[in-house]
Amino acid sequence: MARFIARSILSTITTMLLVSMALFLLLEVGSGDITVKILGVFSTPEQRASYRAQLGLNAPAWQRYVDWLIGNDWRAAKRVGYPLVTATNPQTDEKDWWADVDGQLTRWKLEDGHLQALERQADGSTTSHLVSGKWQTNAAGQEFFWGLDNKNNAVKWVRGEGSEVWVLTKAGLRKAGDGPQEYIPLRKGLLRGDPGKSLQYGRPVAVTLFPRVRNTAILAGVAFLFIMPLALFFGIIAGINDGKPLDRFISITSLGATATPEFVSGIFLILIFGIWLKALPAVSIFLSDDAIFKDPKLIALPILTLTAVELGYIIRMTRASMVEVMDSAYIRTAILKGMPYWRVVLRHAVRNALMAPITVIMLHVNWLIGGVVVVEVIFGFPGLGKYIYDAAIFGDFNAVEAAAMLTVTIAIATRLVGDLAYTFLNPRIRYS
Amino acid sequence: MEAMQSGLKLAAPPSRLRRMWKNISIIFDSRVGTIGMIMVLFWIVTALVSLFWTPYPPNATDFIQNTPPNIQNLLGTDQLGRDILSRLMQGTQVILLKTRLPWGKAILPGGVAIWGVLGSVTLGAVLGLNAGYRGGWTDQIIMQFLDALIAFPVIVLYLVVIAALGQGDLVVIVAITITGAPGVARLVRSLTLDIKTRDYIRAAETRAETIWYIMFKEILPNARGPLLVDSMLRVGYAIFAIGTLGFLGIGLPPPDPDWGNMVNEARRSIFANPLAVVWPSLAIASLVIGLNLFADGLREELSRYQK
Amino acid sequence: MVDNKASPVLQVKDLAVAYKIRGGEIEAVQDASFVIKRGEAYGIVGESGCGKSTVAWAVLNFLGANGYVKRGQIKFLGQELTQKSKSELRLLRGDQIAMVYQDPMQALNPSMRLGDQMKEVLTIHRGISDAEAEKRCAKMLERVYMPDPVNVMKRYPHQISGGQQQRVVIGMALLNNPALLIMDEPTTALDVTVEAAVLDLIAELRHEYDTAIMYITHNLGVVARVATRVGVMYAGEMVEQGTVEEIFKNPRHPYTQGLMRCVPKLGANKSESILYPIPGRVPPPGNRPAGCMFAPRCDYADNRCQEEHPALRALDNVNVRCHLAEEIDWRQWTPTEDVIAPPAVIAQAAADQPILEAKSLKTYYPVKGSSLKDVLGLGEKRFVKAVEDATFQIKRGKTLGVVGESGCGKSTLVKTIIGLEDSTGGDVKFLGFDITGNLSTRDEQVIKELQMVFQNPDSTMNPTYTVGQQIARPIRRFKTVPNDQVRAEVVNLLETMRLGANYFDRLPRQLSGGEKQRVGIARALASRPDLILCDEPVSALDVSVQAAVLNLLLEIQQKYDTTLVFIAHDLSVVRFFSDEIAVMYLGQIMEIGPAEAIYAPPYHPYTEALLSAVPVPDPTAKQKHIRLQGNVPSAINPPAGCRFHTRCPRRNLLPNGGKICQTEIPPWREPDDEHKIFCHLPTDTLTTFEPVISKEGNG
Ligand SMILES: Nc1ncnc2c1ncn2[C@@H]1O[C@H](COP(=O)(O)OP(=O)(O)O)[C@@H](O)[C@H]1O
Ligand code: SF4
Ligand code: SF4
Ligand SMILES: [Mg+2]
Repeated sequence: MARFIARSILSTITTMLLVSMALFLLLEVGSGDITVKILGVFSTPEQRASYRAQLGLNAPAWQRYVDWLIGNDWRAAKRVGYPLVTATNPQTDEKDWWADVDGQLTRWKLEDGHLQALERQADGSTTSHLVSGKWQTNAAGQEFFWGLDNKNNAVKWVRGEGSEVWVLTKAGLRKAGDGPQEYIPLRKGLLRGDPGKSLQYGRPVAVTLFPRVRNTAILAGVAFLFIMPLALFFGIIAGINDGKPLDRFISITSLGATATPEFVSGIFLILIFGIWLKALPAVSIFLSDDAIFKDPKLIALPILTLTAVELGYIIRMTRASMVEVMDSAYIRTAILKGMPYWRVVLRHAVRNALMAPITVIMLHVNWLIGGVVVVEVIFGFPGLGKYIYDAAIFGDFNAVEAAAMLTVTIAIATRLVGDLAYTFLNPRIRYS
Repeated sequence: MEAMQSGLKLAAPPSRLRRMWKNISIIFDSRVGTIGMIMVLFWIVTALVSLFWTPYPPNATDFIQNTPPNIQNLLGTDQLGRDILSRLMQGTQVILLKTRLPWGKAILPGGVAIWGVLGSVTLGAVLGLNAGYRGGWTDQIIMQFLDALIAFPVIVLYLVVIAALGQGDLVVIVAITITGAPGVARLVRSLTLDIKTRDYIRAAETRAETIWYIMFKEILPNARGPLLVDSMLRVGYAIFAIGTLGFLGIGLPPPDPDWGNMVNEARRSIFANPLAVVWPSLAIASLVIGLNLFADGLREELSRYQK
Repeated sequence: MVDNKASPVLQVKDLAVAYKIRGGEIEAVQDASFVIKRGEAYGIVGESGCGKSTVAWAVLNFLGANGYVKRGQIKFLGQELTQKSKSELRLLRGDQIAMVYQDPMQALNPSMRLGDQMKEVLTIHRGISDAEAEKRCAKMLERVYMPDPVNVMKRYPHQISGGQQQRVVIGMALLNNPALLIMDEPTTALDVTVEAAVLDLIAELRHEYDTAIMYITHNLGVVARVATRVGVMYAGEMVEQGTVEEIFKNPRHPYTQGLMRCVPKLGANKSESILYPIPGRVPPPGNRPAGCMFAPRCDYADNRCQEEHPALRALDNVNVRCHLAEEIDWRQWTPTEDVIAPPAVIAQAAADQPILEAKSLKTYYPVKGSSLKDVLGLGEKRFVKAVEDATFQIKRGKTLGVVGESGCGKSTLVKTIIGLEDSTGGDVKFLGFDITGNLSTRDEQVIKELQMVFQNPDSTMNPTYTVGQQIARPIRRFKTVPNDQVRAEVVNLLETMRLGANYFDRLPRQLSGGEKQRVGIARALASRPDLILCDEPVSALDVSVQAAVLNLLLEIQQKYDTTLVFIAHDLSVVRFFSDEIAVMYLGQIMEIGPAEAIYAPPYHPYTEALLSAVPVPDPTAKQKHIRLQGNVPSAINPPAGCRFHTRCPRRNLLPNGGKICQTEIPPWREPDDEHKIFCHLPTDTLTTFEPVISKEGNG
């Protein structure tokens, strides 16, 4: 048992690492030029190059992977020479990076070749004043300075060579002088809860992701609560009636349900309940991320759709397992011991029959998440699935990575739970 | 009695074709399997016919929009005034019959679903055989790798692959291959673990056969029954997935009609013409159900056969 | 012993049972009638496929979804069972009628504690309180000699050994003191020593509870030991019935006679006696002859036999189903011409060189620990010591037999010799080559000289390829003959195996078990090896087929001067077949020497115990009663000193109750030139042991 748990944990960690590498490689290294998507196809190569540098995309892939995973503030802090800390910006409610210069939170700015320090006051506002004596000289005789700019980057300014950069503002690209030569866009890294900024919205992914995850958790959770008892019940009923009309009926219905893609069953349900019966809103319009709390009716059809697809699958698994168990020698023993039929089924068969499907069902959570994506897209449901979908379509890789890692984590966690449940149900593993 | 038999003239050994037919014909013993096969055959025939003939050009917007079924358009028309029947027929081709390569107008025979499943079966079989037969570290590494792949929700993996590589027939094939391979590999591995305990494998080992001979000549052929059943189910999943991707608007690219995308487009005018949603939905469901029934029947008969 | 006034518990009359299959039905049992009285053990014997188990299931009316009783009556304590409703049957099952069948591991629910499984028999049928049931179960477990019953009840099936599982199942069956106990091959999956103990238990319980027992087995030795009356079944019919003494002394039906002739008697050897297989095989239910079922295989069959179906009729004290029963005298029987002529004993040149020599051969398997340390690879390395210090040699053209209980290392020994496992230590020379390494270190020349025959007919052949392809593979691989002669060579081999050339294109699933085994032998022969290792080649076969395969092996040994290593757990078969025998216990060779020396005193205490456990197919034979206590210890931590000391019944013949056996490795005693015994007991003491079996009656 100890061996089993140690192994599971070890392999989970390795799996997660592998997954994160694969994701990163595929998305950030394998995909095309993201700046085209952000700046539009009419941007010039020069503009794109400048913007690439600002996104830190010029660093080698492994460096970016490490940054993404465990953050780069510690790396940047070495360059800047001060500890880097975050403080909440009262206007946006988001965290900003500051250098802690002897207790004073500071950023810098290069203006007309002069370095200015921006100092954060207790109320969140900043004051600025000129500073001197900060410049360092490198081997080539250039004077440079590593500091923090006001866009949460650690940057390197070079004196006298204030390069021209293209800055993206709400109004579009604007050319600016006195720009830095190197950028390290600061982040804490995925492991420390910071998956970076959404390229699409410019806001931290973690902030936008949270309400979506909550909504999906409610959707999938409620669906799961419906699915499990129903599926196990019908699966067992079909299994003990192997070959009889009741079994045929349940089997064929559940096959029909699983073989129908979510988008088909979703639309049929809309047709039936929304258009013909007019019982439920046909098109769920979610005005805000919190809409599901205000009008629970909105969530009925999405749940029904998910249930329709998953129910069939789990019924089939349970049924197959039940048929096998009912055919086994120990069930024969129980019958020949003269046990009443329901006792045979409930005491002798069910526990053994649930062992095999439980791991399969837990593995199937993957599939459920896939279904969630489709269902959320059909109904415009503001959840994790829709989030991934939108991010993937846009190519917002910080967002895709974060959301995908989250789904993978959920999948692996449920698999672990499944394995544990299996060991618990199966005395052969429990007592070995 | 035996000595007598050896004296008799030998009956000609049954030809390969006949043996194959005998193997296939066991499916007729199962009612479920027969129904499934008929459903699948229906779509294969439709696909073949569509190569030479469809009622109208599938992309021509020649008709009144959103008409219900009538003599002229047996299944009605869609929101752009295209004939739905023609589009449904043409839509079978990319799934079952042809793959459009990104180089010019080059076409590879065999549909996207077929190639995707072939890809996952090949990759999965090689990985599964090696993991199962060699065991030890090879097994650990392969299984770890597969665990990582399995951890991805399928649709999410598709989205990621497509976000990275863009749309296209080949991309969908790659996505199907990658998502399917772990399942096949696990199946082949567990079959291999079972088969490798058989004495005929010991016999091959005592002849010091090469590891590749043992894996591919001694083990793999005995896994083909379950593998065939599994592939059949996988073609179903692939069609399911292609439909879903099409519905999400990131599946097979135009100009060929895509069933999933047809559903997606038609649902915008679902109030005006609900049937335009129903037809492609039915097409996908019937093909997938057919494959499932076929596979179920096959599995049942194979297990009976082996007893 | 049989009390004639005892009331009948079970009366089966003209029973026919059919199974519905696709496109019709098959009559698995056509005509079975018998009566079992209180306190009587009725044995049913016959080859597999004769319908024995179907009779048992029919009595319980548990024939599955597609089986039903087609004709006849089954009366249990005067009530007709075939008419009973489901709920009436339920009340009888487990209460009045109990059943025990072959594989106890399968028969127990893996996820329920043993105590719970036992208790429900009492609580459901008798409405006894849980606490009371618990007490009774513990008592019953004690009754079936289960060590530590209270503790065992808290355990799960996989936590106790196979023999113990079967005790639990038997105990569970007896809890309600049933009137009828049905046992279907209850000891077939067990080792001889365990089997012997379980058989003792059954006999004891029968006397104590006065239960009627229906005992099904294919093993004549077992019937001779447990049954008071015997019914012989063939092809769905009862062909002969009588008391066990009568049947064994004077079998009337040619089939019964055939069965007796094809099993070797314990102590018989190939130079003095001959096994006569019954030709052909049991006709499958769909394809039975019109006249006598046995006619196609019967030496006496005449025209009447072909046409007229014989009825079961009384003759002297027995019932027999044969037209010619009166005329046939089984002592006058001579083998017909087409029976394989058993080879005369090979006269061996004495000066032959040993072909294989092993010195202190060791094979250990590393075991995986389960603590966290072990997972990380930091734990201490532990081993299953599967073969320890094996020293022996085999001369060309001779047979070395290896016996021992399952798990004692027989298979590992063979696998090491053939190179499927690496040896851990010691020295093995084959034809002068060193073969301590596994196959990858060996020369092609050596590989082809060593071949193997396997146990399980169903897995010995690759289901994908035809017989011809499979035999041809080693021929091509080792280039034994030029490519254009491969086919001829295969046909030649098939003929040697008495399979015609028409087997060339058959697939394994078209062959019977015996045929598959013969193809397996042909494949092993194909590279023309010097040494063939046979791992239980006949254990899974029916006795009549077993005899044929044994004869074939003898024949090829003579023809090609092949050397054989022969593993079997059946001591009579090994004795019959081998020139030299090694007895193994827990990885260690305990005794080795010429076959005749092993089966007569002086012997090793373990050999003595094995021999006294063997079921002898002769109810009149007197057999010494020695039963080993406890289980075989783990091979990871074998007992120090003599590995057998934890169970040795003879240890107390040594001074100090045999303390020395616990600490010191025994010396090799050599009562004879070639005969060696691994024991602290001096040869003089060993010589005083009496023979295990004193023969009486017929031989
Ligand atoms: N591959 C293996 N790994 C670990 N232990 C094994 C293996 N094969 C056999 N053993 C162990 O070695 C011992 C001897 O087994 P085996 O040679 O199969 O005995 P037998 O042929 O007499 O049944 C047993 O304890 C068995 O459990
Ligand atoms: S009836 Fe004839 S064929 Fe049958 S057993 Fe008797 S002698 Fe043989
Ligand atoms: S050495 Fe001792 S324990 Fe071992 S067999 Fe001889 S008497 Fe028994
Ligand atoms: Mg063995």
